[in-house]
Amino acid sequence: MGDGSASGNRGHNNNHNSHSGHSNKPEWLQQYDLIGKIGEGTYGLVFLARTKSPPNNRGKSIAIKKFKQSKDGDGVSPTAIREIMLLREISHENVVKLVNVHINHADMSLYLAFDYAEHDLYEIIRHHRDKVNHSINQYTIKTLLWQLLNGLNYLHSNWIIHRDLKPSNILVMGDGEEQGVVKIADFGLARIYQAPLKSLSENGVVVTIWYRAPELLLGAKHYTSAVDMWAVGCIFAELLTLKPLFQGAEVKAIPNPFQLDQLDKIFKVLGHPTLEKWPTLANLPHWQQDLQHIQGHKYDNTALYSVVHLSLKSPAYDLLSKMLEYDPRKRITAAQALEHEYFRIEPLPGRNALVPTQGEKVVNYPTRPVDTTTDFEGTTSIQPSQPVSSGNAVSGSMSGAHVGMNRSMPRPMLNMQRMQPQGMTAYNLASQAGMGGGMNPGGIPMQRGVSQAHHQQQLRRKDTGMGMGYPPQQKSRRF
Amino acid sequence: MADFQTSTHRAKWIFTPEDLVGKYKAANQRAIQTLEKYGATLMEVDVDGTISYPEPQVIAKDNADKHSRPKPISIEEEQFMRVFYENKLQEVCKNFHFPHKVQATALIYFKRFYLQWSVMQHHPKNIMLTCIYAACKIEENHVSAEELGKGISQDHQMILNNEMIVYQSLEFDLIVYAPYRSIEGFIDDMEEFCGINDDQLQILQNLLHAAKMEVDKIMLTDAPLLFPPGQLALAALRGANQVHKVVDFERYLRSILSRQSSEHTVSELIEFLNAIDSWARKYKFPSDKDLKHINRKLKSCWGLSSHDESKKRDKKSKHKSKRSSNEVQPVNLSRCFPWKFFVLLRKDTPNDHPVRLL
Repeated sequence: MGDGSASGNRGHNNNHNSHSGHSNKPEWLQQYDLIGKIGEGTYGLVFLARTKSPPNNRGKSIAIKKFKQSKDGDGVSPTAIREIMLLREISHENVVKLVNVHINHADMSLYLAFDYAEHDLYEIIRHHRDKVNHSINQYTIKTLLWQLLNGLNYLHSNWIIHRDLKPSNILVMGDGEEQGVVKIADFGLARIYQAPLKSLSENGVVVTIWYRAPELLLGAKHYTSAVDMWAVGCIFAELLTLKPLFQGAEVKAIPNPFQLDQLDKIFKVLGHPTLEKWPTLANLPHWQQDLQHIQGHKYDNTALYSVVHLSLKSPAYDLLSKMLEYDPRKRITAAQALEHEYFRIEPLPGRNALVPTQGEKVVNYPTRPVDTTTDFEGTTSIQPSQPVSSGNAVSGSMSGAHVGMNRSMPRPMLNMQRMQPQGMTAYNLASQAGMGGGMNPGGIPMQRGVSQAHHQQQLRRKDTGMGMGYPPQQKSRRF
Repeated sequence: MADFQTSTHRAKWIFTPEDLVGKYKAANQRAIQTLEKYGATLMEVDVDGTISYPEPQVIAKDNADKHSRPKPISIEEEQFMRVFYENKLQEVCKNFHFPHKVQATALIYFKRFYLQWSVMQHHPKNIMLTCIYAACKIEENHVSAEELGKGISQDHQMILNNEMIVYQSLEFDLIVYAPYRSIEGFIDDMEEFCGINDDQLQILQNLLHAAKMEVDKIMLTDAPLLFPPGQLALAALRGANQVHKVVDFERYLRSILSRQSSEHTVSELIEFLNAIDSWARKYKFPSDKDLKHINRKLKSCWGLSSHDESKKRDKKSKHKSKRSSNEVQPVNLSRCFPWKFFVLLRKDTPNDHPVRLL
């Protein structure tokens, strides 16, 4: 696992003593060429880098997520640790792959290296809304949704709730063997939900407000994997209409403010929840407390089908309305959703979401914007191209080449075959085997099964880079 | 995660007894090599988490002075040290009223850490506390390093310094499966198996309690590195059942195996349980005399020994002046007798988390 290169070696102390100028890159960093910054969030920064090309091979694109040091006296960032510990245990085609963990001893920060994904649902939706001005084709929507549910079903059956699903966290692979494959990312808020030592709501409110389930908005103390399914419903609707389904104005106050506007937006579309339909509603704190606003105002009945422009009888509408069921206990599960009729009718979902059925136009989504003026410290460097020793050295030229290449290369139409839902298992196995073997001959998920002696700290991981991406969760991402 | 089958725990951290011996030997050997090379073994962990080998001491090169070179401790002595600090670990966790899960996780971290390192290289007291701190973080039972340090009158900076090296040595495989939860599961299952009515529920509760005590003991042996948590749980339950006589245990084992597709037969399973029992029986806690002896040796390995004349004088006059900070670092931390500081444990640690005890 993480090489933490500065440790274990005598004399390495010098290394960090002189790290002030980044001319002296830590050893682990030297295996990458930094392209630039691709995302920023409260947790830290995300960079795009490329592994230094092994002979006869182009370097692999890697997203490197740098965690800010947690607040003083708290040691290693708990968010980083939580994300690592979960990602170490899981492996699924529709979940982002952690390929390495690096430790920067100079400031005790952790860098997680992921396969890089060129696209995410946020950018795809935005591209359709702002640039191409037409809706996403049905095949692409269905495939994206199916794969999202497939990854989520895996997580839920492993007792993991993601808790922060939103379009920017749903990645889609760009050119390459896994083109058009969905990857669920950003497990900083995810947690295991077996036997919580304390109630789940105690560790802070989660889920971006627009995708937040009504039980959370009403102050539920114990919530379930159903919160993820609500978010999927919101994302499904957003794929259909290109705009967020429930775009409430967030109340920013600490702690856990009551998000009345968000509930108002939901009620307007779905109608008022009732105790008959949702018996446990009566127990939810905000439902009890805020009689005047919530219970006082009566909303008309559902207008969901007209908001999403679906016929009341269509399977798509049926599925969506089951995801947006008020009562979390009645809400459709990921496993049930995968079996829904929607996925059994044409167009069937496939492996490559970005290449639609024959005849339809392939949309060329833009590559992720890269800020090439930023170095690994997250500071903007004045001279982006410096001599070899700096991480920025190659970035100027590299990123140019990178952007150009991606779009002009003809896409290999390898992954055109469609799958039958019932044939899924076999399909997944085959594709994973193929992918793993081809892309990472050196033993995939991070040295699993490789016994390591105490010299682990000195081991260099040469075969780290394999691919693709990670989702930036950009601060500025608001409409 | 619920699925032990696909876990790193199962894939990487369950060993054969031979593997285990090999690892202990190798760690011990590495420390001995360091000792020969540098005259001391303690790895220095910096504020920033970097570790480095000890400064070479003049005496290391001085072959003529062979008899005064620190003697390394043996593999058995290492084992004693680990046993001692694992007991302390349980004690600290109990005093803080941490849930069982935290204690078990910390213990497993501690055991895994010393598969990679010798106690000659990293002071087990520091590692023990850091493992507790890390386990709290992972199990979402948050305690600040400061709070933890205060509770046991230890410098919390030492905990933070060691945190990264602990994660790294665990290869960031931080989700571990403890047998406590399995015991609860089996008890629930037995309820159905025995067709117990409400009046008899107390009997099962007693069995549960006894089994947890049994498993506390098993957790202090090497068994958690050799057997999956479910088997540890069954061994503990069987032990407890011998006293409480609640079920026909062999019949119960049969019923478990008949319900899930297992790769093992009943006799194989019984063999495993016997093996776990024998680990528990073999368990030996070091005597005070052993401990004193080992500690003396360890101190000299750590570079805190008395072979240099000035230090000897210091000792005689019982006048321990603070050494300058550029001298061997860990002195301050290990000055007090390690087993004395626990009396300072705060009993009134605020704890608003439900302790999952039945």
